Amino acid sequence: MSTLVTVLRLPRGPDPNGRGFDPNSPRFVALCPTTISASTETGTDSVEIGEEQRARSALRESFLRTLIAMTNKQVQFHMYERVKVEAKFGASDIDVLNFQVSELQTPIGVQKEALLRCQDVISYSFDL
Amino acid sequence: MAMRQTPLTCSGHTRPVVDLAFSGITPYGYFLISACKDGKPMLRQGDTGDWIGTFLGHKGAVWGATLNNEATKAATAAADFTAKVWDAVTGDEVLTLAHKHIVKSVNFTQDSSCLLTGGNDKIIRIYDLNKPEAEPQEITGHTSAIKKALWCKNDTQILSAADDKTVRLWDRNSTEVVKQLSFDMSVSSMEYIPDGEVLVITYGKTIAFYNALSLDMIKTVDAPASIHSASLHPDKEFFVAGGDDFKLYKFDYGTKEELESYKGHFGPVHCVRFSPDGELYASGSEDGTLRLWQTAVGKTYGLWKCVLPEELVSENSDTIYCTPAAPEIKA
Repeated sequence: MSTLVTVLRLPRGPDPNGRGFDPNSPRFVALCPTTISASTETGTDSVEIGEEQRARSALRESFLRTLIAMTNKQVQFHMYERVKVEAKFGASDIDVLNFQVSELQTPIGVQKEALLRCQDVISYSFDL
Repeated sequence: MAMRQTPLTCSGHTRPVVDLAFSGITPYGYFLISACKDGKPMLRQGDTGDWIGTFLGHKGAVWGATLNNEATKAATAAADFTAKVWDAVTGDEVLTLAHKHIVKSVNFTQDSSCLLTGGNDKIIRIYDLNKPEAEPQEITGHTSAIKKALWCKNDTQILSAADDKTVRLWDRNSTEVVKQLSFDMSVSSMEYIPDGEVLVITYGKTIAFYNALSLDMIKTVDAPASIHSASLHPDKEFFVAGGDDFKLYKFDYGTKEELESYKGHFGPVHCVRFSPDGELYASGSEDGTLRLWQTAVGKTYGLWKCVLPEELVSENSDTIYCTPAAPEIKA
């Protein structure tokens, strides 16, 4: 009579909310440079790296604030293949891979709800 | 008392898993990457199957995936006509290499400096990852879509298998064919074992072993069903194979005897590979799952725990699960 091998638990599955690669995992902390690749030239001192970090933080913060400011506004998107569409911006996902929009005006009609793939977007503009 | 194999199922993919690869052994353990027709290759911890992250960016089915030895880089080949290189620690896309047709296979050199690609345009390409904008070196000759292209002989030679029913050995510098094997049918998979220079090729119901340097045949073994993929254990004592009948087969490499067969998958098995330490093997299937199987059934390793009969009835065993599989073991 044979018995089943016991397991401690089942393998953990994907997180439905993100793409993973936990920045707090020991491997990430050990292998990821704390400085950005642009500033790893030899001779860069910690003051310059600090300044670059500050600039990057400021840019990131203003980008995130634009996303908030855009909510429920009419936004024009310029995309590849000379596509220009306009829609009411809803939200972005956590990794800025998709934008959720409503009333997307396309050459073949108005799409009530749509997801725009961010990597297809070249630029977008809106009035404050 | 005999122990029954309890495979660990890794879910998450929504379409068939068509390729998988292990990294080498790193200070953080070893890792596993899976290629899936849902376009979202995933990285997992190799010994537990725990999901680490998903590489997002491809716009089509991913046909091939690989990791470098240190598991710091990943590469994927997809139906969107691109091969991509990724940072396997952050999950970020590092490079996109445009091709003219579906890309099926990707492989890093030992030092991760070059990437080999092959696909439906029948051309093998070598990209210098230190100079990605430079034109890749091209190797032509195959007359049908390339299924797999692998570095061998310390990255001085290349082995390729294509739908033209040939396996070819190329010299990397001259880009000329050194030797060629012809078969009656298309080769379904190929695995290269640097230690011992063994090439494992599957076609039809056959698993064939060749010397990777001379392409002399060592032996062939026939399975009960059409085989899609096989893998040789690092110690070269056994090999595993899977294919059309959804089962995983384990054979003795020396005697060619079929030792065990396991049911578990709900669809054909497309790929199977031993882990770098040989303690487990992973299989990917049409059913969208990866399963991890123990080489030594009942041994404590990863998430498997060796439990003695007395422990099973003790009061402290509430953290131990018994997941039912549907195994079929030959006596």
